[in-house]
Parts: sequence; C-alpha cells; structure tokens
Amino acid sequence: MKRLISSAALGLAAALTLTACGGASTGATGGSGGGGEGGSADRLVIWNWGASDDAAAAFQEDVVANFNETHPDVEVEIVSQPFDQYYTLLGSAIEAGTGPDVALFNGGTQLKSRADSLIPVTDELSDITGDLAGWPAFQADGETYSAPMFLQGFPIYFNKAIFTSAGLDPENPPKTWEELGAACDAIEAGTEVDCFALGNKEGLGIEFFMSGLGSGIFTADEYDAWIDGERDWTSEHARQVLTMWAESSANGWYNDGANSTAMFNDSFDLFSGGKAAMVIGLSSGIAHWKQFDEFLGEDLGFMMPVTTNEGTTIALPIEGGIGYGVLNEDKKDIAVDWIKATVERDAQADYALAGGQIVSNTTVELDTDITSAQEIIAELPGSKPLLHTALSGDTLDLLHRSASSCWSAR
Amino acid sequence: MTALLGSRPDVPTDVRPGAASPKRRPRRRFSLERSAPLVLVFPAIAILLVFRVYPLVLGVNFSFTGDQELNGVFIGLDNYVTLFTDVRFHAAARNVIVVLLFVPLEVLVAGILATFIFLKVPGHRFYRSVYFLPVVLSPIIIGAIFNIVLAANGPLNDVNKALGLPVIDWLGQSNSALPSVLGVHIWATFGMALVIFLAGFSTVDQELLDAARIDGASLAQTIWYVVIPELSQTIQFVFVTTTIGMLTGIFGLLYTMTAGGPGAASYLPEFLIWKLNGEAKPALASAASVVLLLLILVIGLLQIRVLRRATKEV
Repeated sequence: MKRLISSAALGLAAALTLTACGGASTGATGGSGGGGEGGSADRLVIWNWGASDDAAAAFQEDVVANFNETHPDVEVEIVSQPFDQYYTLLGSAIEAGTGPDVALFNGGTQLKSRADSLIPVTDELSDITGDLAGWPAFQADGETYSAPMFLQGFPIYFNKAIFTSAGLDPENPPKTWEELGAACDAIEAGTEVDCFALGNKEGLGIEFFMSGLGSGIFTADEYDAWIDGERDWTSEHARQVLTMWAESSANGWYNDGANSTAMFNDSFDLFSGGKAAMVIGLSSGIAHWKQFDEFLGEDLGFMMPVTTNEGTTIALPIEGGIGYGVLNEDKKDIAVDWIKATVERDAQADYALAGGQIVSNTTVELDTDITSAQEIIAELPGSKPLLHTALSGDTLDLLHRSASSCWSAR
Repeated sequence: MTALLGSRPDVPTDVRPGAASPKRRPRRRFSLERSAPLVLVFPAIAILLVFRVYPLVLGVNFSFTGDQELNGVFIGLDNYVTLFTDVRFHAAARNVIVVLLFVPLEVLVAGILATFIFLKVPGHRFYRSVYFLPVVLSPIIIGAIFNIVLAANGPLNDVNKALGLPVIDWLGQSNSALPSVLGVHIWATFGMALVIFLAGFSTVDQELLDAARIDGASLAQTIWYVVIPELSQTIQFVFVTTTIGMLTGIFGLLYTMTAGGPGAASYLPEFLIWKLNGEAKPALASAASVVLLLLILVIGLLQIRVLRRATKEV
C-alpha cells in the first residue's frame, strides 16, 4: 500500500514538474517571438473578420502576394474572427497581451475609441496620402492610424419598377422631404409594398437614417462642426432628426415589425426581393450596388439625400470604411508595408469590380455599366463623412436604444 | 498489543517519558498513510482552485481596475458606481425581477406535466420524449425559429388575425419582448426540469401513497400532503437550477431574438456584461459579472430557505 501511494505521489509530482516546465518553455518561446527586434520578426499575425465571398478571398490573396513581393521571408498568418464578436475578442486579446500584430478596424468610432492601443503611422503613410480618399475616419488627435481600403457610405437605393407602378417618375426621384413623403404616400396607395425596407432590431436604423439623410437636415456649418466634435443635441436640427425618425414610422413608411427585423440581412432582402421601394444601403462589403443589381438589374436606382431644410448642401455620405491598424510596435515597419499592400491599385481595381466595393484608391476607374455605381462615384468629390461614426460608442448605444424604444411606444 | 496500536498516534509505541513523545507526534502526522486522502483529492482541488477560484479572484480583482487609458490602474469602487448609474443596468436589474416571476411558471409547467407522465396518462412515453426534445436544440436555432414564428407578419400573428385577436410585434415592443423571450426559454428548457421531476417521483415512497389512499385522501390532498413534501428537495433543486438557467442561460435567445431591445427592454445582466465588454470596457464588464454572481448567490440561498419552509421538508 505504502509503495502504491508513494508511486502515485511520485507520478503526480513528476506530472506537475513537467507541466511547470512546459509552461515555462512556452512562455520563453512566446517572449522571444513577441519581443523580437523591429523588422527582424519573420511572422506577421493579422486579424480580420474573414472573407465574405470569393471576391474577398481573391483580394486577400492578392494582398498577401503583393506583401510577399517586398517581404518574401515574412510568413503572413491571417486569423479570421466572427464579426459579431470581433471587437470583444480583440479587446480581450489586447487586454491579455495576446493581440495580433495588425488588426482590421472599421473607420470612425471603432478605430478612434481604440486609438490608445494603436501605433500611429502618420509619417510612414504620408507618401500615399494623395492617392486615397477617406482618411478622416482613420485619424484621431492629428495622427493617422490606418489607410482606408474601401469607402463606406449610406447611399439611398430605389426600385424603379415600383416607382413606375406607383405612378412616380423613376428618372426623377424625390429631392425634398415633402416629395419623399408624397412618394411614400403614392407607394402606399398604389402598390402592395412598403416605402422603405428597414431593420431596427439592433437599433441600427437611426444610424442609417441620420447619416443617410443628414446633409439635407443640417447646414454645412453644423455638419462640419458635428464631425469635428462640436455637437448640440438640443439644437433645432438635431432634434428634427429624431422627430423625422418618429414621424416616418408613424406615417407607415417601413415594413411591418421593423423594430424586430434584423438589419443584416433581413431588411436588405426585403429590398432585393422587391418588397420595398427604397432602402438606405451601403456602398461596400454588403448591401451595396452590386448585390442589389443581381436581383433588380436595370430597376436599381440611386438617389441623393433629400433636402429637408433650406440652406443645406446635399452631399453623399461616405468615408473610409475599413483599414488595418498596427498593434505591435516591434513589427511596425512590416505592418506598414502590409497596410500599403491593401491599398495597392491593381488589387483594389480587381476587387472593386468583383466584390462590389467603392475603393479608396482614387486612381482606380470602376469598369462597370451598373449605373448606380457610376452615379455614386460621380458624387464622391462633394461627399462628406458619416455623421454617426463621429459619435462615441456610448452615445451610439444610447441613440440605438432611444430610437428603438421611441418606436415601440407606438 | 503494541502491534495493534502501532499506527495510532495517541498511543506511543515506546513508552519513554519526557520530550521524546511530543517530538515524534508531528512526524507521524505526515506519514504517507495520513496524507494519502489529501494526495488523492489534490487533483480535484487543484483543478477547482486553478480553473475556478483563481479566475474568480482575478475577475473580482479586475473589476477594481479601470478601462482603456486607466487599464490596470486601481480605481476602487468606481466601476460599481458607474454601473449603478447606468440605465441599462437599471433595466437589467428590473428585468431580473421579471425573470424571477417566470421561474415558478416553468417549475409549475414541468411539475404538472411530469405528474401526468408519472400517472401514466395515455401516450406518456411519447410525451416524455417530445417534452425533452427542445432541450437538445441550440438556443441559436430556437431563436431563429421563434424569430419567424413571432415575426410581425409571422404565423402566430396570422392565427391571431384569423381569430380576430390583435396583431402584436412580439419582439419589437418594449412590454412584450422580454416575456416573449422568456416564454420561448421555458418552452426550450422545461424538458430538463421535467426529467429531474420524474427522477424525483421515482423516490416517492409508495407506502405513503398507499397509506394516504387508505386514509381516504383525495388526489389534491395526496399531492399536497404526501407528494410535495416528499419531493421537496427535488422542487428546491429545480427552482434553483431553473433560476440559474434563466439568469445565465438565456443569452443565446436574447442575442438572436431581441438583441436586448427595443431600447434596453430585454437586457439581462449577462447580456449587459457582453455588451460592456464589446464596448472595450472589460473591467466594467467584470464588475457587472461580480454583481451577477452575488445576485445569483443571494437569490439561490433565499430560494432554498423559502422553499424549505414552503414544501414542509421532512
């Protein structure tokens, strides 16, 4: 018995010692790998939320190939995380010191609120500043943290066939808030479909509403001040946004149960399926011109925001959508080359066409006959950043909640 | 005699008076035989300490530090102060009360249906498997199914319309969103409670039931005076596990069905924890987790105490 117990104890002790050794040696390897001297590390760990389709996967391959031309010895390790939990996982990893060297970020709030974890690359990217549009979404406190890969905007798409059957002129979409209201009344009366497709389950509807229509509500000065951080929520026009939001719902513009419909992709499916006449969609990634074109073809139309108040300057709301940020100071040099590879002209040109992106590289010409895409690009020069991405995460969350609960009181 | 007492520490083997015996005692305490039980339970305790207690302590410690630029800095109770002024926390706390109101409902549903199966109603075997079926489904799948069923233009509203009842956007209205999710949760999980009840029924003393029958007790009296007291521990167990399940196992449904909305109408503490972490405030989320832990602990202990009296435990 004694022998049995002593051998058990010995075995346990041995196991513990081995585990301890294992732990120590892993730590040592991690330490030498992570703390490598700048540029000498031969691996670049990159986080993103995966390639949504073949076009995105092909683009990613192009970018890796571009990058490996300048750094043939560096192994690129791309880790795809689920988008729903992306920032949660990233935050936890950064917190635990196990974050990647480079990570993909949405421009605006998502990047700016994490600027303190990111390495500024202002000087390193200065040579490509002139080629790209959409920088402000990746800048904070005078520093640049990433280069925009694509432009993300909130264009308003409409279904020309539904306009026609409602007795509206599809070549002359509404230009003012009153005309938009009249158009919705006509669609309501003349067709079986809803005026706008909307999913507000997550409270995202107000973001699309505010940014999509903002340039017709706020004066140019108010708009610029808003982007710069001077916001007066009690101002006439800020309150008007919420009033218009509530009225549009009360007037029955949206699909039934909009408050319990998911924005991605149930509401966009309603528009693609011809069950709604209009939708405030996106310009890149998903719910964009190419995706809608597949379903609606010639019937897909694009319209600018409508004028609500006098003295406003109508502008296409669009800005830098996503871009890679650098998290590991030691690998800054190769990380910057990775960022540059993501905005390289040829790769962007191929992806723009295949994946339906409005890319940031202004030297790319979009070779497509989808008219709404060309119309969006034609509006880029006078475009303005999105109103909602300038808001902090807390404010956005409050806005989401207020906007969905003010509807549910109906 | 010496051989018989050899292993007893209180009986010295060599009877030498003086300092020798107190010196030998401690050495004997650490003999292999004495430490064997400790060695054997060590792996279990080590796993518990390393993977449960240590992370818990780390989490509690983390809740006293700041987020973002204050990362790692001790900020005392600031996170808790922030939490208690957050409207979402208020909503989540209010909703916990709503959840607690639904717990007896689930226990009642499971208890009644288990009684029917115990009494062998026709088709009881079939019902037993049918009732348990939703338990094996993933909450995400259940959420997706009920998103369609409860949609504004979904089948349930079609039935309502046909019956002349009002059409409700079940998941899009503040006052119906959480009750709808809780209803679906009950549907999805009562099977487990039912199985526990069935296991409990099998321990009911048949002699007591026979005695009650001979004494002329009615069915209601039999249930009230015999079955419930006999099942008191099962009922307690079901109450506590159902409560914990409702407070910690409803995330998947909330996430797919309402995303916490409209507004904060269907926020529950665990959803809030997830949201806060997603907002790059992991330390604040830790504080919320600690509050949830305490909440469950207090509610669980209170429940056991209340139920002990209510079920007249013998």
